Amino acid sequence: MQVYSTPKAIKENSNFTFCPGCDHGLAIKTIAHVIDELNIRENTIAVASSGCSVFLYNFLDVDCIESPHGRACAVATGVKRAHKAQGNNKFVFTYQGDGDFASIGLAESMHSALRGENITAICINNTNYGMTGGQLGPTTAMGQITTTSQNGRNREYHGFPIKTAEQIAQCEGTCFSARVALYDIKNIINTKNTIKKAFEYQNQNLGFSFVEILSSCPTNWKLSPKESHEKIKTELSQIFPLGVLKDVKND
Amino acid sequence: MSEKELLKGNIAIAKAALNCGCTCYFGYPITPQTEIGEYLSIEMQKNKLAYVCAESEIAAINMALGAASTGAKVMTSSSSCAVSLMQETISYACSDELPIVIVNVMRAGPGQGYIFPSQGDYNQATTGGGNGDYHTIVLSPTNVQECIDLTYRAFYLAQKYRNPVILLADGLLGQMAEPAELIDNPYPQIDNSNWRLDGAKSRPSREIHSLEVNQNKLNQHIINMYKKYEAIEKDECDFEEYLCEDAEIIFTAFGSLARHVKSVCNYYRSKGVKAGLFRPKTLYPFPYRKLNDLSKKVKIFIDVEMNMGQMLKDIRLSILSNAKISFIGKPVGNWLKEEEIINAADNIIKEHYASI
Repeated sequence: MQVYSTPKAIKENSNFTFCPGCDHGLAIKTIAHVIDELNIRENTIAVASSGCSVFLYNFLDVDCIESPHGRACAVATGVKRAHKAQGNNKFVFTYQGDGDFASIGLAESMHSALRGENITAICINNTNYGMTGGQLGPTTAMGQITTTSQNGRNREYHGFPIKTAEQIAQCEGTCFSARVALYDIKNIINTKNTIKKAFEYQNQNLGFSFVEILSSCPTNWKLSPKESHEKIKTELSQIFPLGVLKDVKND
Repeated sequence: MSEKELLKGNIAIAKAALNCGCTCYFGYPITPQTEIGEYLSIEMQKNKLAYVCAESEIAAINMALGAASTGAKVMTSSSSCAVSLMQETISYACSDELPIVIVNVMRAGPGQGYIFPSQGDYNQATTGGGNGDYHTIVLSPTNVQECIDLTYRAFYLAQKYRNPVILLADGLLGQMAEPAELIDNPYPQIDNSNWRLDGAKSRPSREIHSLEVNQNKLNQHIINMYKKYEAIEKDECDFEEYLCEDAEIIFTAFGSLARHVKSVCNYYRSKGVKAGLFRPKTLYPFPYRKLNDLSKKVKIFIDVEMNMGQMLKDIRLSILSNAKISFIGKPVGNWLKEEEIINAADNIIKEHYASI
């Protein structure tokens, strides 16, 4: 009995080039499974961003445009609305890091949610700027050591981290906002189901749907992959609680 | 649609965009171009086209980037200091080879400057404010009729060369009403089915990106872009020559200011001075070769601009040491009047025509 196969929405012969233990590969594969299950591969346009998440198009076998840093939701807005003006309802989602979505691109992200833009945003939250070597980002936890907060994040110099899924849930145009993690099988399955729901809500034209994924960054956290997942389970999910923050169908 | 009507420059641009099939507009208000977005908000929402009051010019140009990737005809409009905000994505669009029409109705700078008219964005438009090796095509209308004609041409060239095109108008032109004819779009449609993103149905998936981690590939990509620019420089130079055939003195000017300079030429002709006007309609590609040819038989060039001499460097590059060149200009405000230009030009011309 075959219990697992690579999703069809993953390009043939593509090997993930992320650091060992990084959750990006798992996140992209999970998205690909959902694209398969919803049978939307041929109707999808993905928007990649800057940072590690830009490599999305190397692995995902869908039409894809890269966005300038932070502007993925604006680019996705253009893609979605241009197709709509031509009478086509395309499936459009962004794949962004937390720095991209919630720091440099906060205005574009939040205004897309406020407009109720009928797109889905996936935000990989690994609490630092990964590609540049682990600097303090908008989601770096209080006390967390990074290359630009070597004594730990503190109020005096850095202020507080953003709780992205909660902020996006506050926007009237948001139909769905949730935070998930990938540290064990149960959570991977939950992440898949959550992304599926967010994607389905877009297909039902309900508005802006958002999934924040707490993800590991073993290289910059200077932890093993296993320790990284343990950190998400015991520390980060306390600061950034997992769960659904908004669901218009249940509210 | 074959009758002239009284049209403001801004409205003429908006009408022409709709007339040639622009289905997407994204913008943020800034004087003196706001009427473009206001007019389009009514018409585009009526026809269920893509219209977004963007949260910033940064968002607007990025919405335009996404929309352009679908093969749609896309426009954004803004002015000077806010066009500065768009420069990053203009660089991306050039590398991505995406067609976007960007209207800049110039105001005064630098910084916030003010809403006075100016031609201070010649450098920004022609040499770019974004990073890396790239060019945007830049068209310069002189009257409201050309606002229509060159809007059509902007959409056509953007699609033909898969490159952003800047329509460089100015506050005077945007706000001024004069008779113009909303002619039909004379240009053919360009097929984009081989590159647009519309879902990978029955074909391999497509990627549009400027990131390239292989340096040989990135080198080759830029070299290919420059082969395209070579073709643009060869085929798309456009200019107006006014009384240049027998001219001994040639004025150079672009945009609406060139109309004052035309009157100045008429004045000098009435005084027996063989003066002419050379007006580039494409600021990129710049008509270097044509000006170089003219410089071989003309004694003196007088460049007139509403800035501190930005086109001047391109004039110099064109005529080299073949002829003398002088500059008349001021940075902002009401356009130089004919008398002001004549007063300044008299001193320059006196050397050659003692009788004036």
